[in-house]
Amino acid sequence: MWLSILGLILGISLGLLTDIQIPPEYANYLSIAVLASLDTLFGGIRAHLQQVYDDKVFVSGFFFNIALAAGLAFLGVHLGVDLYLAAIFAFGVRLFQNIAVIRRIILAKWAEKKEVRETI
Amino acid sequence: MKKRILTRFTVIMFVIGLMTAIQYNTINEPDIRDTRDVWEIRQELAREKQLHSQLLSEIESLDDTLNKYKATADASPEQALRETAGELRSAAGLTETAGPGIEVFVEPSMEAVAMGLEIEGISPDLLIRLVNEINRYNGLYVSIDGKRIINTTAIRDINGQTTVNTKPVDTPPFSIKIISESMEDSEKLYNHLLASRILDDFYIDNLTLTVSEPKDDLIIEAYDGTIDTNYLQASEGE
Repeated sequence: MWLSILGLILGISLGLLTDIQIPPEYANYLSIAVLASLDTLFGGIRAHLQQVYDDKVFVSGFFFNIALAAGLAFLGVHLGVDLYLAAIFAFGVRLFQNIAVIRRIILAKWAEKKEVRETI
Repeated sequence: MKKRILTRFTVIMFVIGLMTAIQYNTINEPDIRDTRDVWEIRQELAREKQLHSQLLSEIESLDDTLNKYKATADASPEQALRETAGELRSAAGLTETAGPGIEVFVEPSMEAVAMGLEIEGISPDLLIRLVNEINRYNGLYVSIDGKRIINTTAIRDINGQTTVNTKPVDTPPFSIKIISESMEDSEKLYNHLLASRILDDFYIDNLTLTVSEPKDDLIIEAYDGTIDTNYLQASEGE
């Protein structure tokens, strides 16, 4: 777990230190991509906690979701329909659901541990 | 197995962090970039310096007044107050003023006379433009057709007639008198008006502007109305 947090910190610091910027027109796509990747990440964590984690699903979901979201946004810009809202809505809802499930699982585990300790 | 999951998570986290940081960089770009070149900055500096010197001279004159008060405080405070009041009245345009200046005559253009066109009054917009031009170039005291321009003067159209201080301006010809600080300033104003584009603006309205040579001793009438001070309030200070 600590290794993944280290990865996050490494990524953030690399991005901030190198001062990479993308053209402002593309900021929209990137923000959706970030949302998609967060969704996949939490989905992965939930799957892991529910013991149904699959490597291929996780990695392919990560890239596919990002591509789909960006593609939807791109299409929306060219059609004049705010299709990126659909992506934001879908990912937002799923993000909350995943986090809720994760929280429940962790709570359940915690209660279990406490019970075990009390019986001892 | 567990190790592989951890590696995957780490890589994904790394990508997320990178994307977030890039997004942050992009969004937090400074909104307004300073694109002025050296010349523009120099001009701004010149403006500020001018303001600075203006403020300094103002301070100096106020210091003078203060010293005068101090010197005459014992002898005759009334005299000092009277003097200041006089100065203020003349600055406000309530007294007749004399000084070096130029006279500008507004006349119907030769073409308009030759064609037999009806001579119309000058439009308020044109008059305001002219006054702005004069103010920009060292005009200190101005009177239009005998109507003194003061701080609260309005030049506007009332029932189809152009008025200054709510008094109608004659149809051309009439004259505008301008007093400047010094003969030199008058000459500058004279040259500026001769070269100004405002002459063309007058010509469009079938009027010509004749500028007289700077005179040493021009007299401008006092403002003859009352100055409304309904909304003035005494300042709270020492």
